[in-house]
Amino acid sequence: MTKAAASSALPGPARPERQRQMRWLVILSAAALVLIAIGPYVLPMFMVNSLIRGFLYAAVALTVDILWGYTGILTFGQSAFFGIGAYAAGLIFTHMGFSTEHAFLALGAGILVAMAIAAIVGWLSFYHGASPLYASVVSLVLPIVVAQLLYSGGQFTGSSSGLSGFESFDVSIEAWFWITGAFLVALTAAAWIFVRSDAGRVLVAIRENEARCEYLGINVSRIKILLLVACAAIAAIAGYAFAGVQMVVAPEYAGFVFGTELIIWVALGGRGTLLGPVIGTLIIDLGTAYLSGNLPFVWKLIIGFAFVIVIVALPQGLMPILTRPFRRTQAQMDASVPVLQAVAAEPFAGLSGGGQHALDIQDVRKRFGSLKVLEGIRFRARRGELLSLVGPNGAGKTTLMRCIADGGERSSGSILINDRDIGRRTPYECVAYGVGRKFQTANVFETLTVAEALRIARTRLQRPQFTGRAETLDVPPAVVKVMQATGLDQQMATEARYLSHGQKQALELAMVLALEPSVVLLDEPTAGLTKPERALIGQILTDLTAKEGLCILLVEHDLDFVREISSRVIVLHQGQIVLDGTVAEVVNSELVRTIYAGGGTMNSAGTH
Amino acid sequence: MAQILDILTSAAILYAVAAGLLIIFGVMKIINFAHGGFLTVGGYSALVVTQMGWSPWASFGFAFIVGFVCGSIIERLVVRPLYARPLDAILATWGLGIILGQLITLGFGREVQFVQSPVSGAVDLLGASYSLYRLLMIPAAIVLALALTAVLNGTKLGLQTRAVIMNENLARGLGINSGMVRFITFSLGAGLASLAGALITPLSSVDPNMGVPWLVSAFMLVLVSGASFLSLGIACVVLGGAQVLVSTYANPVLGGLTIVVLAALILRLRPQGFARD
Repeated sequence: MTKAAASSALPGPARPERQRQMRWLVILSAAALVLIAIGPYVLPMFMVNSLIRGFLYAAVALTVDILWGYTGILTFGQSAFFGIGAYAAGLIFTHMGFSTEHAFLALGAGILVAMAIAAIVGWLSFYHGASPLYASVVSLVLPIVVAQLLYSGGQFTGSSSGLSGFESFDVSIEAWFWITGAFLVALTAAAWIFVRSDAGRVLVAIRENEARCEYLGINVSRIKILLLVACAAIAAIAGYAFAGVQMVVAPEYAGFVFGTELIIWVALGGRGTLLGPVIGTLIIDLGTAYLSGNLPFVWKLIIGFAFVIVIVALPQGLMPILTRPFRRTQAQMDASVPVLQAVAAEPFAGLSGGGQHALDIQDVRKRFGSLKVLEGIRFRARRGELLSLVGPNGAGKTTLMRCIADGGERSSGSILINDRDIGRRTPYECVAYGVGRKFQTANVFETLTVAEALRIARTRLQRPQFTGRAETLDVPPAVVKVMQATGLDQQMATEARYLSHGQKQALELAMVLALEPSVVLLDEPTAGLTKPERALIGQILTDLTAKEGLCILLVEHDLDFVREISSRVIVLHQGQIVLDGTVAEVVNSELVRTIYAGGGTMNSAGTH
Repeated sequence: MAQILDILTSAAILYAVAAGLLIIFGVMKIINFAHGGFLTVGGYSALVVTQMGWSPWASFGFAFIVGFVCGSIIERLVVRPLYARPLDAILATWGLGIILGQLITLGFGREVQFVQSPVSGAVDLLGASYSLYRLLMIPAAIVLALALTAVLNGTKLGLQTRAVIMNENLARGLGINSGMVRFITFSLGAGLASLAGALITPLSSVDPNMGVPWLVSAFMLVLVSGASFLSLGIACVVLGGAQVLVSTYANPVLGGLTIVVLAALILRLRPQGFARD
């Protein structure tokens, strides 16, 4: 792979900023470990005991933060996995006795059962088209089911009183403090590295705009399932340690109320901040330990009030308020931007498949109930064609694009991309067939930077790093050209929400081209751009078709723009193709003039 | 015979419990997790009526008013800012449920207490002896359903509410005060929840956490019902019936899980549940 002239917003390498972040991580972790090391010597015994429990709760809260705070999956179910880990230890130690082998057996069993159940729950919750509420519903059902089964287990699970008095590890309380504390620090540090890595940014992208992720070829459901399985394993380990140190397990630890408490701790600390949920959990759990004796109901009442106030008035929780003075400056953000780099003119990955026709639409129909939006659409497009779809509002242009990018959309007919039938495949699978779709209204990731958004778009072709951020951002030359033409290359560290409307459009176009598609669907790509920008984009699009051999399907209302760049025009009217020809044919067509002048309904048959 | 009555009375109780949640979900598209708290408020309203020595019949009206007032205060203070954040609304209303539960605990203690029933004894029905109060739940649910349908279809407020359900922006454009509709809806939903709490307490007892298990059942029933009182009725009979049958022929623990598990599976296979497309 040869690399063409590198172009970059700020040529400085991203290393110093990353080193600075790592230094902070090391300092904070070391400080935490020192505190944990001296803790048992200076803290009262009661507090040491409480903190051990707090450390383990915080580990579970961390998984809730990853799932909810970062990925946007509101889950009530992490308590179930905690309970499974705890009961794995409780059941095996009670019924089989304690030994080193049994300790490993219980740990392995707890983790495996939790992961298996998480996989089932994930498969049930996350599928293409699932509503976010449904995943929350399933996560609510899970702890209810697990807790009820534990209640009904009779002697085996100890029913409502749970299991207690089983033999456990011969480890002092001080050592438990160190083990669980170090576990929490290691887990937090690992999570900190992960969420800041390129892979971790994918989670935020899913939270911000799941649909856009799917249309960038990312299998969102699979990522969510894998994430849930991993988080279940961590929660199970915490539960196992909990049973080991407390030597008591009860159904409440697997229940739905504990699941909601985890959410409360994460929300109060600050969702999506990692440290916030950890600190929030420790403080609230300590408060509970000390105050539940004297003021049990008042303490819970205060927590309830604080929770409601935070959700209503401070959705980001308390952590961001504390860290505001330390927020990274724009200069630091700029310094952490990867170098945008054009990968020299290899053919787009989407073009490698071959095929006679880039796009083959066979008798496609789309109905909403009795309303016919598309009727018997059929046409073929070769590589190198820039085909414009024109027609008045409601003609079915956007619907047709939607049908090409999502196999589940059309009512009947078939669609072939590079001679391969897309069948009923989901959007991310259609991307693998070579489709890239730009939406009508700019559809980007509001809180991700320009560079991060482009990186997300490259996820399918370049596996993202899990431990850090790549220093270069390798994209096709056409992407660099779009970025330069619209000035986006100077704003790599800007979050998308601060971009102008036209720049958002350009960013989305760049993201779609970064997929290296063979068939590009562009729904009004130049709306909001200035005249010179529009001309540059037009030039890039014609180059892509003429030189790279892409097939572009364009919807535009600006007929001058259509005339300048199109190689062929299809006129849609009332869900049917009324004209398919060259630019000249369409421009001179009496029929098209009548349609645009609103000349009433007409019969398309026999007009061309 | 007793089993059929069990199914019908269970469905009726579920219907009464879920109606308040459904009306809020239908109009406002938010899940009111304080519903369990409002049920508890209703239970304790009935307890207050008992302790004051008033007629047990008064507890229903009293509970409705208390719930309505609680709901209207909460709508103004908490729910209103969350219309655009439905998942956060679930959390905030769950927090409200905690607050209601703790306030009740502080006021009444956490022990289980009993409420006087307006009617007692059993009736003989086709050879089977059946609790009269439980039996009365069936007409109570039917009256509730008819009353709600009458309000929705027969009054100006009902018309405006249906307009907001169908298309809130358009309704606002036509001069309907959708904020007012939401305010009344939430208060009404809270009042109905509280009324349901008063209805179910003579069957069991009151304690500060009595609402939580009902909340979960009601929540699942509403999700499979969409925004229709008719499909809620179907869901209550089908899922409530399944619960009774599983409890009888399998075991009560599985019976307790029937509604949540079945509802989750139904929603997976058919996201609109019992509602029409």
